[in-house]
Amino acid sequence: MGVLNIRSLIIFSAILRVFLIVYGEWQDTHMEVRYTDVDYLVFSDAAALVVAGKSPYKRSTYRYSPLIAYILTPNSFIHRSWGKFLFSASDLLVGYFIRIILKLRGVPENLSIYSVIVWLFNPFTFTIGTRGNCEPIICAIILWIIICLIRGNLFQGAVWYGLVVHMRIYPIIYALPIVLILDPNHFQPGKKPSIIDWNSRQHKSNENLGLSKLFDLNRLWVLFQSIFTRPRILFGLISATIFFFFTGTFFYLYEWEFMHEALLYHLTRTDPRHNFSIYFYHIYLNYERELSVLEKLISFLPQLIVQIVLIFRFAQDFPFCFFVQTVAFVAFNKVITAQYFVWFFCLLPLILPWSKMKLKWEGTFCILLWIGAQTHWLFWGYMLEFKGKQVFLQLWAASLLFFAANIYVLITIILRHTYSPVFKHLVTSHSQKTK
Amino acid sequence: MEYQGIQVLLHLRLGIILSLLAGISYCKHPPSFFFEVSRSRKYITEAYFQKHDILIDRVFQDFISNEFSHGFCRKQNFMPKLLVIQQQLIGEGSHRHLTLSIKIEIQLEVLSKFPSHSCEAILVERLPSGVFADPFELEHLTRRGVFTDASAFGDTDLELPTVRANRSAVEVHMDLSRNMLSGNGWEFNIELPLHARYAPLGKHGYTRVEFVSPDVFVQCIVEGNSHNQRCIFSSTNDGVISNSTATVWEVPSGIVKHTKLVAVLTFISAVVGTLPIFMACVFCSENSYYKQS
Repeated sequence: MGVLNIRSLIIFSAILRVFLIVYGEWQDTHMEVRYTDVDYLVFSDAAALVVAGKSPYKRSTYRYSPLIAYILTPNSFIHRSWGKFLFSASDLLVGYFIRIILKLRGVPENLSIYSVIVWLFNPFTFTIGTRGNCEPIICAIILWIIICLIRGNLFQGAVWYGLVVHMRIYPIIYALPIVLILDPNHFQPGKKPSIIDWNSRQHKSNENLGLSKLFDLNRLWVLFQSIFTRPRILFGLISATIFFFFTGTFFYLYEWEFMHEALLYHLTRTDPRHNFSIYFYHIYLNYERELSVLEKLISFLPQLIVQIVLIFRFAQDFPFCFFVQTVAFVAFNKVITAQYFVWFFCLLPLILPWSKMKLKWEGTFCILLWIGAQTHWLFWGYMLEFKGKQVFLQLWAASLLFFAANIYVLITIILRHTYSPVFKHLVTSHSQKTK
Repeated sequence: MEYQGIQVLLHLRLGIILSLLAGISYCKHPPSFFFEVSRSRKYITEAYFQKHDILIDRVFQDFISNEFSHGFCRKQNFMPKLLVIQQQLIGEGSHRHLTLSIKIEIQLEVLSKFPSHSCEAILVERLPSGVFADPFELEHLTRRGVFTDASAFGDTDLELPTVRANRSAVEVHMDLSRNMLSGNGWEFNIELPLHARYAPLGKHGYTRVEFVSPDVFVQCIVEGNSHNQRCIFSSTNDGVISNSTATVWEVPSGIVKHTKLVAVLTFISAVVGTLPIFMACVFCSENSYYKQS
């Protein structure tokens, strides 16, 4: 019954996506406003250049790894919608991976189906793949890494992790939590990690795990002592090798053009044009002068502090940790565009079964608040961009409001979450002897 | 051995066929030129940017007058006269359309010397600083048949604000067929999609961007003694009727006096934003716990 349900869900989602791709083709040829994402045209042009034996960076604004252009080369000789089918297939794969992860963690069938629906039928996600945005591929790789880690398949996890960081950079924020979960208590040679079942969660607390847990010096010391374990070193080495292999190869092929467009641009990106970030107006007002090192540091510190706090608090419940880290990373980033939201939308279904938040009414309130704050920003954005009104101050205030809404939703999610480490502590040979 | 021989023979035949095909296709396209620069390129503006890095109106006009000195084309005695040119900005916000109504007067008796469907109008719109055209959008419109050819040259980086960007120019080619003739000339409209860059900071919140009149040329294929030649004729602007008021785009710009307020509040918000997350992490630990079996 369950299998049938997930199968019919995926088939229905596939039909919906095919319909949207076909509809997109129609809209593109018959209407002035295109359905297809502008980035898709950039990918396609870059792929055509690759087919012609040229550098994909000859297409201005192509700011991705050449791998994206390579996988889209069939756009030139099979069909121009090839990439959309590929991205939508990845989008379906994300739905399938969500189910695998939840099943591995012992979540009941009906709950995992609801979670899968949250991804597959989220209007934001199904339009992003069918319009030709490459993010679903990144999401699928991230979820596959989570699956590899849960199954204890560290080699494969490390390979994919090195690749995904090369492709999109932002998953570098997951490096520290991954290092933390590769604990000798979870991963021992020749043993599969043992997973804590969803049913064994408990809401009632009988010990104080507050500040003392977060800043337990003894715990930090143990962590420091055991930091250089075999799985950690291997994971680090393999993923670094993959990352440097791809980055090095493409640097050899496309030289500084690749480094500037695919890597340095994203690392140093400060966009003065309006976007959801609270920093956009500040960057615009100071664009004509160079920001001092102190100013750059001040704007980076809140991001860094929040990441560290979240990682040290939630690393053992790593799907949740990845989710809150991503929401916070996007909220505190210097540039925020709508496509960044997909980065955490794909992780949201992984945390829902552990949330005590009821859709009625707290969940609904959070959704409405987030959408409301975004719509409010979009209104001022529209006034500036499409009506030509001087509303920079109002737009920036709307960014602050959206930031506040993000923080509110994030802390509500944290407070309603049932903290649940993924792995059980394995009994070590040392502790067996002492017994 | 025999197999290898057949292979060599096959490759040889293939090579001969390919060279023949290449030769035929070369012969089918007569060598085209009008003035020196366009022998290898179809865009006048492209030729300008090959020689100059930035667009300066006076330098561009000098470039044009220097290049129009080719003997053969000058002998044709064809002087298209620009009668009407009106430009108007349509729409609001950062993405607008510049519509151009153009009427070119010609000597019909000279035109009869040219083969049919052999003329096209070339319009060069030198864009003011702060406005740009997206070359990829122009390409899309060309593919849809809106223009015969169109491209943008100069600084076409879509993301740079005005202070970091140089000026750019758009060149549009439109086919002028005999059936487009009305009276003693051609009359047509062009609609160019344009975008505003982020304007330099100001005191009052808007930056004025003023357009200059475009340059209009007529390019025709002229029957020569041995082969057809392509000539570009600069249109004379005597007595042209144009807009009485200048075409102006008011682009919203950031206000300098906001700088301090925005800096302080942005950083306070970022710092204040970290606190509830920190507190939530602490309190979350206290009300949820997983039993380790």
